[in-house]
Amino acid sequence: MGNSGISRGQEAALVVLRTLIGWHFLYEGFVKLWWPSWTRAGAPLGRWSAAGYLRASSGPFADAFRRLADVSWMPWLDVLMTWSLILVGLGLILGLFTQLACAGALALLALFYLSFLPTHGVIEPGAEGSYLFVNKNLLEAAAVAVLLLFRTGRIAGLDLLLARPRVAQATPAAEAAR
Amino acid sequence: MSLNPEQKELGRRNFMRALAGTPALAALGTAALTKGPVKGGPVRLGYVGLGGQGRVLLEQTDPRYAQVVALCDINPLHLQKAAESLKKAALAPVPHYSDWKEMIQKEKLEGVVLAVPLFLHADLAVACMEAGLHVLCEKMMAWDPQGCRRMLEASQKTGKVLEIGHQRYYNPIYQAAYDGIVKTGTLGELYHARLVWHRNGNWRRKDDLPSPDFDPKKWGYPSFDHLINWRLYKQYSRGHMAELASHMVAITNWFFGAEAEAAVGSGGVYRYKDGREVPDHSYATIEYPGGRTAVYTSIESNAFDHYYEAYYGTKGTLILRGEVEAYLFSEGEADAKPTTVEVAPKSAGAASQASESRSADAAGSAKGVGTGTGGGVDRLAAYRYEVQGFCSAVRTGAPVKCGPKAAMASARACIAGFEAIDKKQRQVLGA
Repeated sequence: MGNSGISRGQEAALVVLRTLIGWHFLYEGFVKLWWPSWTRAGAPLGRWSAAGYLRASSGPFADAFRRLADVSWMPWLDVLMTWSLILVGLGLILGLFTQLACAGALALLALFYLSFLPTHGVIEPGAEGSYLFVNKNLLEAAAVAVLLLFRTGRIAGLDLLLARPRVAQATPAAEAAR
Repeated sequence: MSLNPEQKELGRRNFMRALAGTPALAALGTAALTKGPVKGGPVRLGYVGLGGQGRVLLEQTDPRYAQVVALCDINPLHLQKAAESLKKAALAPVPHYSDWKEMIQKEKLEGVVLAVPLFLHADLAVACMEAGLHVLCEKMMAWDPQGCRRMLEASQKTGKVLEIGHQRYYNPIYQAAYDGIVKTGTLGELYHARLVWHRNGNWRRKDDLPSPDFDPKKWGYPSFDHLINWRLYKQYSRGHMAELASHMVAITNWFFGAEAEAAVGSGGVYRYKDGREVPDHSYATIEYPGGRTAVYTSIESNAFDHYYEAYYGTKGTLILRGEVEAYLFSEGEADAKPTTVEVAPKSAGAASQASESRSADAAGSAKGVGTGTGGGVDRLAAYRYEVQGFCSAVRTGAPVKCGPKAAMASARACIAGFEAIDKKQRQVLGA
């Protein structure tokens, strides 16, 4: 049994899940930071902007997202999106400010989900499957919610180093309370 | 500090737990380096030499791959025409230079595209590579084998990309022919190639002085005629063998998978006795290992044959005509018919643009005769792919299709062919 009241195996599974989701966010941000860039095969990828994603938005909130694509401050939004993804990813991987990172991940995934809310239930161009209401963004958000509830920063991560002095101070009091 | 074993173990575990996930972080760098994208925008290029061939390369530069940063030519009229090309392509004007050294010093370049007279290739390419620039140099590689060797060594020493502009390597017809026919052995044993570039017109050009005070001597040319007709004089040129045959010999080396061993030749100035020094009729036989032979002819008195490469195997014949048509015939087939070679679709208007090699084609009576398939290919697309390929190599390290080794092999064969014609003597290529 681990410190969190669940088995070691369950703790490990949660940390692995957090690391994988962190990697997903971090690499998505890293690649955007890397623009302009080329594929290894030698084709230019041009410059990334969230505008393209927003313009392709579908679902009941599509109009609002499409309007967002044309705002004058889109370059700032691109920077914000890139660094949000990177910081959330780093937070999840390192277990640093884990709860904040989980909340950020949830917020981003909610945006992604709402901008492409799957209401058609058929294969759409660019999608690799058929989705009705439940798609991979929603599933990833659910997984992040689990991480948030289990407070995995207390299981493993740099949050432990930050929390340790408080734990050390609390220990004698806890002992005394016994 | 002294820690007992239990403390050490506890501390180790705590540390490892605290760093959970960092292997993934380390992997990020590795993944980005091995499989992820390569950072960088379009390659920043300067163009030196903007005559007909230089402008073809300029106009076929894809802005997604390359940014035109500066233009250089000693002829102001060429710069003016190049500027118009940029304007037509809705690209921003760029600085003009008459001195390439000044251009590479002042501009922040990554590479240069050289389309200058043949005798200048080696000096410019080597200097540019030594200045830290990648080089796409027009064909033929260099005026002499020593120049080729210098270019190869400079590329190896500096690690800079050197591509020689034999655009057929990037032509979808030639790629398809090689992959689908030559490599698969469809032609059987291949002993003979016929390389033909026949034209009926005068290679000598006429042009206006850029300005009354333009002095070609400043650039090392004794007269304006020498500047605009450098192809006709031996001190700058290798005649047909460099300007026309080198393309075909390069492809023959590729298809034969071999390098030439010797050349015999004949020819001379038979029709246009106007003071030119290079033949207007050239006939060269290029010998390869294993009894394989390529026979090249170039004449300036009849254009019926137009230009083509034909490869005669024991099982079939492959003909690649005018860079846009491909034919395959089975040997011994009673009713031989052309066979389709799948290639890229046509782009409108491309065929109307001339290159240096094609300037004397105008009188060709064979134009439009081709009945085989593939006639709708955009010939100039090969130049576009070539510049793209060069930029990809610069940015990602992908190999170019015609690097210095391949280009040197064909150049040496062509120089030997020129010498064989000039001296009426068989030339053996050394190692």
